Amino acid sequence: MTRDEMIEAIAEVIDTEATLTPETPLESLEEYDSVAVLSLMSWFDELGISVAPKDFEGLKTVADLLALAEG
Amino acid sequence: MAEIRFDDAAIRGIVTTAGDRKVMIEDEAEAFGYDERTLKRLKRSMGFASRHVVSDPSVCTSDLCAQSAHRLFKGLAIDPSSIDALLFVSQTPDYRAPSTAIILQDRLGLSTRTVAFDINLGCSGFINGLYTAYSFIHSGMERVLLCVGDIASRFAYPQDKNLTPLMGDAGSAVLIERTVNSPSAFVLHSDGSGYEHLIIPAGGCRQPVTPESLEPKTFEDGAIRRAVDMFMNGGEIFNFTIKVVPAMFEELFALSGREKETVDYFVLHQANRYILQNIAKRLGVGAERLPMDTMTEYGNQNSASIPGTVNARLSNVYSQKRVRSVFAGFGIGLSWGACMVETDTIFAPPIQLYQKGQA
Repeated sequence: MTRDEMIEAIAEVIDTEATLTPETPLESLEEYDSVAVLSLMSWFDELGISVAPKDFEGLKTVADLLALAEG
Repeated sequence: MAEIRFDDAAIRGIVTTAGDRKVMIEDEAEAFGYDERTLKRLKRSMGFASRHVVSDPSVCTSDLCAQSAHRLFKGLAIDPSSIDALLFVSQTPDYRAPSTAIILQDRLGLSTRTVAFDINLGCSGFINGLYTAYSFIHSGMERVLLCVGDIASRFAYPQDKNLTPLMGDAGSAVLIERTVNSPSAFVLHSDGSGYEHLIIPAGGCRQPVTPESLEPKTFEDGAIRRAVDMFMNGGEIFNFTIKVVPAMFEELFALSGREKETVDYFVLHQANRYILQNIAKRLGVGAERLPMDTMTEYGNQNSASIPGTVNARLSNVYSQKRVRSVFAGFGIGLSWGACMVETDTIFAPPIQLYQKGQA
């Protein structure tokens, strides 16, 4: 998956219609809540990426999510 | 390793009694501090709609189980004195001691020659209880009564927005009997390294009750509760579930020698719709064979959620046919287990609501 495809997939997983860029602050997305974190954990798991809930603490932007996905 | 097969025990009847008061999430949203968007999101993705709790604060899990047991004895024309063992699986016993199972022995009219004790488990409790019952039959007993359930509204703090809206009250009674040629397989797991993710911290020996532990506080997760109330780290529990449950199914298919296509119904612990949809997707089984919405109507019934789903959603099927089922429970402990069992036209009436005086 390219970086753009990853960003598109993230938007789909957290169920937002906002256009995401790596710089988009997560707190600007009203859909980025505890349910979105569960959905992201599940999606990462399906991609074979092992993450824990605490890995999401302190993430600020979409780029931080990409970094988490890249390990 | 806890992987076991039997062929000499089977379930004869399942009855579940739920709390008599139906609470709608819309009516509770304000108390939990949900705004309109949060409420909409929780309804859509988690499946929050309503839950059943007991209206009388003096009603215990044993009262719900006793009402279920009476119906079970009547439906199967069973003489209570013919029962060899009574197991009570719950985290809400009548007293800290003695075992509620022993009190139920007398109350339900069982013989004093009955084995009776409690098992302290939640979400995985039905599987572990059923395994214990099948083991008792295998060791020579004829009839075992398994009572499971919780008054979850008693251990979740009423204003805890993370836990309370999930929880329902229910108590089931299940009769297990000696039979022949009824193959079953059990896979059981425990991992105490995650014990802090679902816990009632205070009230045991490690952290006795103090005036402080009875004070409501706002915790790091933003929820209000006391140290004597149940805490759940939802993210950790979800993460644990999606990792261990699909792997456990693979173990069960291998142990039983039967693939998922041969299973009529997958009845799983009804944690919430979101988790069940996730597991179903990984398992590759649709909602027609894996009910997902018991929690949506009744709330999470803890150890009674598997029998509760049989009674609430599949009463006709289990009462009229031979059924091959996979049952699976997962959660507090951490503890998880699954079994594959066969039933043949058992007594499984629709779920009933608690009525004072019926127990």
